[in-house]
Amino acid sequence: MAGDDTSARLYEDSPLSAEESLALIERQQQEVHRRLGVNAALFYGPWGAAYLLGFGSVFLTYPSAVPLRLPGGLAAVITGVVFVTAIVVSVVRRARAGRGVRGPSRMVGAMYGWSWTLGFGAMYAVNIGVTRLGLPADAVTLLYSGSALVLVGVLYLAGGALWQDRFQYGLGVWMLVTGAGSVLAGVPGNFAVLSLAGGGGLLLTAGYFTLRPPRPRR
Amino acid sequence: MSATESLPGLDPVIHAQARLRVMVVLTALSTGDQITFPRLQQLLDMTAGNLSTHLRKLEDASYVQITKTYQRRTPVTYVALTESGRRAFADYTAALRALLTPPTDQPRG
Repeated sequence: MAGDDTSARLYEDSPLSAEESLALIERQQQEVHRRLGVNAALFYGPWGAAYLLGFGSVFLTYPSAVPLRLPGGLAAVITGVVFVTAIVVSVVRRARAGRGVRGPSRMVGAMYGWSWTLGFGAMYAVNIGVTRLGLPADAVTLLYSGSALVLVGVLYLAGGALWQDRFQYGLGVWMLVTGAGSVLAGVPGNFAVLSLAGGGGLLLTAGYFTLRPPRPRR
Repeated sequence: MSATESLPGLDPVIHAQARLRVMVVLTALSTGDQITFPRLQQLLDMTAGNLSTHLRKLEDASYVQITKTYQRRTPVTYVALTESGRRAFADYTAALRALLTPPTDQPRG
């Protein structure tokens, strides 16, 4: 095809200096990381917002030092909307990231994704079983929020180890501390801990991943 | 090769805008992963003919491996970096950095 050969030659005919070549590599790397969905900020952002607003709104249904008090129905709607949004964004992002790619990394990603589903399934089964024995309402609340946070923390530890990402591993440690701290705080303080420490940690992580890729050179 | 086309010590197969961009995308994949031709084309924003031309040159140098297969009766072409391709790209970027680093008194390796 003559047209294609011409355009191919056009590329060849513009010789690159070493500086230009390095700049091109950097630019292309940023572009491909963004388009292959490696940027983690889009994942942590919605979860951070969900923790902050969801657990925050539940906290505000209790009488507290904060002069604002939300009706239970409104808090339930807010919590439902923010957590469903975070789940949908995560699922869509995961599906789009690996489009057109096959190989070992897809296998690792699929196994890690299923770890969340299987882990939460088993956790709910255990919690429902324990709750059926008869627990005070506050104990049920702390059982669910504490065990969920420990599971989230451990899965971030695993993710950090899998992708050799110290920041994600650190987030895992932070979520473990948050989970344990929330149970020690008791009801309703646990919701404030989950909202501020949990949501804050996730949003900080989103901010870190937004800033981490080096800016394009001018 | 003439001095205007390639800098001394740089792999001429990689040191061309289009092929350099192809190599960057392929090195961004995890080791052992393959990418479909259309997805690669989309990521690079290149025409199919242009991309084929450059992939052929990279394949001739054994830097990429092209696998043609079928998925639900549709032919699919997968492109992957070879081990020597990954090494060649690492050598190329190292050579670029060496060119940009002022020479020192250290003995050359």
